[in-house]
Amino acid sequence: MRSLRGWGLVLALFPLSLRALAAQERTTVGGYGEIHYTDATGPNTPAEINLKRFVVYLAHSFTDQLVFRSELEVEDAKIEGGQAGGEVALEQAYLDYRVRDWLTVRTGLVLPPVGIINETHEPPTFNGVDRPGFDHDVIPTTWRELGVGALGTVPGVAGLAYRVYLVNGLRADGFSADQGIREGRQEGREASFANPSLTGRLEWTRPGLKLGAAFWYGGTANGDTALGTGSFAAPVVLLAADVRYDVGAASFRGVAANISVSDAAAIDRRYGTAVGSRIAGGYLEAAYNVLHLLAPASSQKLAAFVRHERYDTQADVPAGVTRDRALARRLTTAGLTYKPTWNTAFKGDYQWVRNAAGTGEHEVLRLGVGYQF
Amino acid sequence: MTLAPAAPAVLCLALAAQAPPPARLAASLARVFGPGARVDTLHVDTAAVLRVSRNDSLLGFAAVGNVLGKDQPITFLVAVGPDDRLKDVDILVYREPYGGEVAYESWRRQFRGKRAADSLRVGREIRGISGATISVHAVTLGVQRLLAALTAWHQRGALR
Repeated sequence: MRSLRGWGLVLALFPLSLRALAAQERTTVGGYGEIHYTDATGPNTPAEINLKRFVVYLAHSFTDQLVFRSELEVEDAKIEGGQAGGEVALEQAYLDYRVRDWLTVRTGLVLPPVGIINETHEPPTFNGVDRPGFDHDVIPTTWRELGVGALGTVPGVAGLAYRVYLVNGLRADGFSADQGIREGRQEGREASFANPSLTGRLEWTRPGLKLGAAFWYGGTANGDTALGTGSFAAPVVLLAADVRYDVGAASFRGVAANISVSDAAAIDRRYGTAVGSRIAGGYLEAAYNVLHLLAPASSQKLAAFVRHERYDTQADVPAGVTRDRALARRLTTAGLTYKPTWNTAFKGDYQWVRNAAGTGEHEVLRLGVGYQF
Repeated sequence: MTLAPAAPAVLCLALAAQAPPPARLAASLARVFGPGARVDTLHVDTAAVLRVSRNDSLLGFAAVGNVLGKDQPITFLVAVGPDDRLKDVDILVYREPYGGEVAYESWRRQFRGKRAADSLRVGREIRGISGATISVHAVTLGVQRLLAALTAWHQRGALR
């Protein structure tokens, strides 16, 4: 019998063995994966089925504060010399040192916190078999680079969190007209640090709502004298905003991004790649859990969704580069996501692929399964 | 999901590898039950339950549980009134860099007034949090189990 002031005694009653366990090192395994069936209309496009991703999540807690976290990915089931496709890669690998709620220091292969999919890409978390095209051609998911940074909650402002990283830069020699900055990523493989880059995010959360704003800023010249040798030579500036909103059985999400490649003219002269000087676009998605009405007692989900994406990897081009209007893309995707549990998903969708030039337009049927644990 | 009456003790200690800092626990109880309350520790099966009272009148019971988030345990408190209704949930220790939004009052308050027999489904009775999916499901399940255990113990007279 004691008052609140005597808490030491109360705690002494918690079994000592439990307190000892707290100090023990601990390894955690998880993972996610997805299988895709894809059938596009048009000649010479046979249907394909692919084990798109198999990812193992491995974490180890050295102490309560010091934790290593990693994701090792196998794409397309296998890699074989001389054959296209297939990849084994680390998607993330970093050491977190948690100092306070408002400060975790992170070092390693990190995910630039831009858009929604780049950081949260487990298949049951998004509708549609494949990730949005925008999250391939504009925001180059899964985007990961090496560096150091900090993250945490912003003290005094409920729901506000930040992440900021200093990482290696993109390489302009990988830029392209149709996929923008995508192949400029270095992904932790003997990466050039000629152009350090900054990336970060502010995020505001309350139940049902998440708002985010993110940036990337860094040079891309990689010491190429044709582009400049400064740390921030041939800079890329990315600004992005995203929203996720759930209300009742409905959920909505949207992302927009604008990427400025201000020295695109010099990059195009040097590499002849016709990269746009501005890459921009976004998407909006709405979904409704039809089981909310059809089976009110169920905890399963069957979401019907539609997503509309518009983006152009040549939203602006430097003088002398002819704009390819087929790169101004419009993708509309409608489908179903069935989730027997929150961490498994069976998906089917139909996509209309259109562009401003009206060339090569087609439709795609996709079926898939995904899981995370 | 519901809990078999025989199982609560096992379930609520299944992940009880973490004890909260005493000051954090004291602050949490003071917040839920008001300051200056008297707290006694009762042992039921293999679990420790806190009995909270003031001037010989029972205010309720509380217990500490742990669930696994993505890779770290989340230490939480469930407090119930003498009527077996959940008074409040508190996150005592959150250890991961993401998903800490489960500690926000705006999320926790959704549990208030719930009983063991009530349905607690993420996306229905409990609103989720984007980007905190694992923590939301883990804590919701943990609360449900601890609430069921406290209710079962109370109803069979092990807590009084």
